[in-house]
Amino acid sequence: MKTGMKKSITFLAKNLIRLVLLLLCASILAFLLVSLSPVDPLQVNVGQAALGSLSREQIKKLETYWGVNDPPVKRYLAWAKDFIRGDMGVSLLYRQDVSSVIGQKLAHSLLLMGSAWLISGIVGFSLGIIAGANRGSFIDRIIRGYALLTASTPAFWIALLFLLIFAVWFRIFPIGLSVPIGVEEGFITLTDRLRHAILPAAVLSITGISNIVLHTREKMIDVMESEYVLFALARGENKRSVVFRHGLRNVLIPAITLQFASIGEIFGGSVLVEQVFSYPGLGQAAVSAGLGGDIPLLMGITVISTAIVFTGNFTANLLYGIIDPRIRRGAEK
Amino acid sequence: MKKSFSIIFIVILLSAVLNGCNQKVSSDLPVEKDSVIVVMGPTSEPVAGFDPAYGWGAGEHVHEPLIQSTLTTTTRDLEIAYDLATSISVSEDGLVWTVGIRNDVYFTDGEKLTAHDVAFTYNTVKSESTINDLTMLEKAEAVDDTTVKFYMKKPYSIWPYTMAIIGIVPEHAYSPDYGQNPIGSGRYVLKQWDKGQQIILEANPYYYGKEILMKKVTIVFMDEAAAYAAVKAGQVDLAYTSASYSDKAIDGYSLLGVETVDNRGISLPTIPYNGETGNDVTCDLAIRKAINMGIDRQKMIDNVLNGHGTPAFSVCDKMPWFNEDTTVEYDFDGAVALLDEAGWIPGDDGIRTRNGIRAKINIMYPASDSVRQALAAETANQLKALGIEATIEGVGWDVAYNRAQREPMIWGWGTHTPLELYNLYHTVPETGLARYVPYANKTVDSYMDQALSTMDLETSYNLWKKAQWDGTTGTAGDSAWVWLVNINHLYWVKDNLNVAEQKLHPHGQGWSIVNNVDQWSWK
Repeated sequence: MKTGMKKSITFLAKNLIRLVLLLLCASILAFLLVSLSPVDPLQVNVGQAALGSLSREQIKKLETYWGVNDPPVKRYLAWAKDFIRGDMGVSLLYRQDVSSVIGQKLAHSLLLMGSAWLISGIVGFSLGIIAGANRGSFIDRIIRGYALLTASTPAFWIALLFLLIFAVWFRIFPIGLSVPIGVEEGFITLTDRLRHAILPAAVLSITGISNIVLHTREKMIDVMESEYVLFALARGENKRSVVFRHGLRNVLIPAITLQFASIGEIFGGSVLVEQVFSYPGLGQAAVSAGLGGDIPLLMGITVISTAIVFTGNFTANLLYGIIDPRIRRGAEK
Repeated sequence: MKKSFSIIFIVILLSAVLNGCNQKVSSDLPVEKDSVIVVMGPTSEPVAGFDPAYGWGAGEHVHEPLIQSTLTTTTRDLEIAYDLATSISVSEDGLVWTVGIRNDVYFTDGEKLTAHDVAFTYNTVKSESTINDLTMLEKAEAVDDTTVKFYMKKPYSIWPYTMAIIGIVPEHAYSPDYGQNPIGSGRYVLKQWDKGQQIILEANPYYYGKEILMKKVTIVFMDEAAAYAAVKAGQVDLAYTSASYSDKAIDGYSLLGVETVDNRGISLPTIPYNGETGNDVTCDLAIRKAINMGIDRQKMIDNVLNGHGTPAFSVCDKMPWFNEDTTVEYDFDGAVALLDEAGWIPGDDGIRTRNGIRAKINIMYPASDSVRQALAAETANQLKALGIEATIEGVGWDVAYNRAQREPMIWGWGTHTPLELYNLYHTVPETGLARYVPYANKTVDSYMDQALSTMDLETSYNLWKKAQWDGTTGTAGDSAWVWLVNINHLYWVKDNLNVAEQKLHPHGQGWSIVNNVDQWSWK
């Protein structure tokens, strides 16, 4: 019992250290890139024509505000020092606490990314199983073809296509935003919010599906060709029960790895999808922060997204132990 | 146990679905005839809040800050009119402005607007702001409830133009978070702000001025492609667009082109190359004048802007301080004659040379701007016929400012004050040359200095005009900048929407279109 506890604590501690190191590296890298970029925050945020009207005195004031002339190492250390104490700083663009900006944007994104993640996981997994179990059949070819097609199409192109078909031609869904245009807060219903989230979520799911389908299919094929399945089939078990009782368990682990790893992909895909549907989310904030030289906000978003992706992978790790007793026992040995 | 759980689950699911079906979806609400939905680009959203101290109303795209009132406003012809102000006078030396304020204006929270709020606003904007440049203001002081004095550091005749874009905020209700829930005395109240998506404005019932016709204004922020989709789906009433969409036809909408002072011009260094600045070809006045005369601006507008533009002859066309004598007729033969006279002899390949120098220039443009790229290409094309070889190059802003000291570059300018003339043509003390391109003309300098210190606006306009051309010399004669086109701003407008007459738009598309949204109506 004691060794079990000790093992768990070491496990958690090790991962915590990994997380800290990862955040450190990610933040340093992000900061390095921003410092090296030729983007001039004054040029981007004030604009060339307005910049031309400012006096030298005002330009100096601006340069101080955007930290243009501060040495990068000093800036990074100042940011890191505040961050450790829990202060993410104030966004230069939004003039609000970085934590509140990220909080607002993340709330919107979570609905979108969460539903896309679930849908792509469930649908992708099911399609992969069906394709793998019926290898070579007509339905397998359809599923495979569909997966390969969506694997190569860019998310924003699908987004524009959906927008065109469903919002402009057929007018079933709204053309964008997360709430109806011109409607006051009190009159917005849950149905409205869901309606506005359907197209972007569908687009994000579609682009995430192909990976999971193809990989699950491969694993399923491996399983179906294994000796124990051959043995079970020879003993007279029907295919369906073989798939459910033997196939699923073995395919589950690689599927979970993929599913949690795809969190990062969904994060990235959401940026362009949000832009097409004018959906307010973290992706857009990241782009504005990056292009506009808003370092506190950009660093905040980098750290939060890194932490989310890490948590995803860590959860996958944990789930292995729960799902597969062999891994648990292997760790205990 | 399992069975009852699934039954309960199904019941809950069904009731949620049925409930959703019965509820009226809010897009079924009737369209009100005094509300309008306008689409602007995502950069138009004031993410820092509706706070004049953070640039609301100011910056590159100046516009009326609808939620707050301003002391003055600009009219359709860009002259000055009074809004909150009842009288404006300035001292002999130009250092003290005294402005009288109306005493019948109330903020939407019921408190009266006094000169103390005005002084507070200007002092706050001066200390906080990053986009509003109030470095010429020493301080603002309220003498009594209806009079405010502005103490300037140096004479600044165009102060009324600055006063036209600074919205007055309430001293008693101001904090760094003011921009999130602004209280003002302007035509509209901020009803709702869905960050990153839309803003809902409602008419201010206590407004002191003209009756507000459009009671509810919804501004939606979308990028160009999404805006176009929104128009095609018929879900918005007015949307910004660009020349690339202008040849489409959309049922129920028409294309509105608004004239602007949003110009594009090419800078030409006027001194010979000295190792760091200057250009050996453009330093010759004949070359610069020939370029100004020999470019067919209308052809450029037709080719690059699909006809949506007007020729530009200065940085301030059609403004009250524009000198109309500086317009130039397209004269190809005249340009050729000028070059021949100056000794630029065409060679076998048609390109001119003089004293061993080939008439070859490299025209730069900001790499991210496709319209400027097209203008550069069109310019290069037209110059070839004149015998000047021009290559074009896209550059980033990190190197552009420096390289523009040596090579021609396509810029975009255009705002509602004559200060731009000053900033482009006046020499700076550090170098003795103008800031963006090497150029110096003492007469021009002195006219512009006089214009800034002349307190009577009418007289100052004349001085600005003299700086452009006084009969013998001027910025138009020196052609350090050759102005090409003013780009029209394009909008899709629903057929029965009456958009009130627009004043000339400044650089960039954004809030200018709704400057007078309170006077819009439905037919």
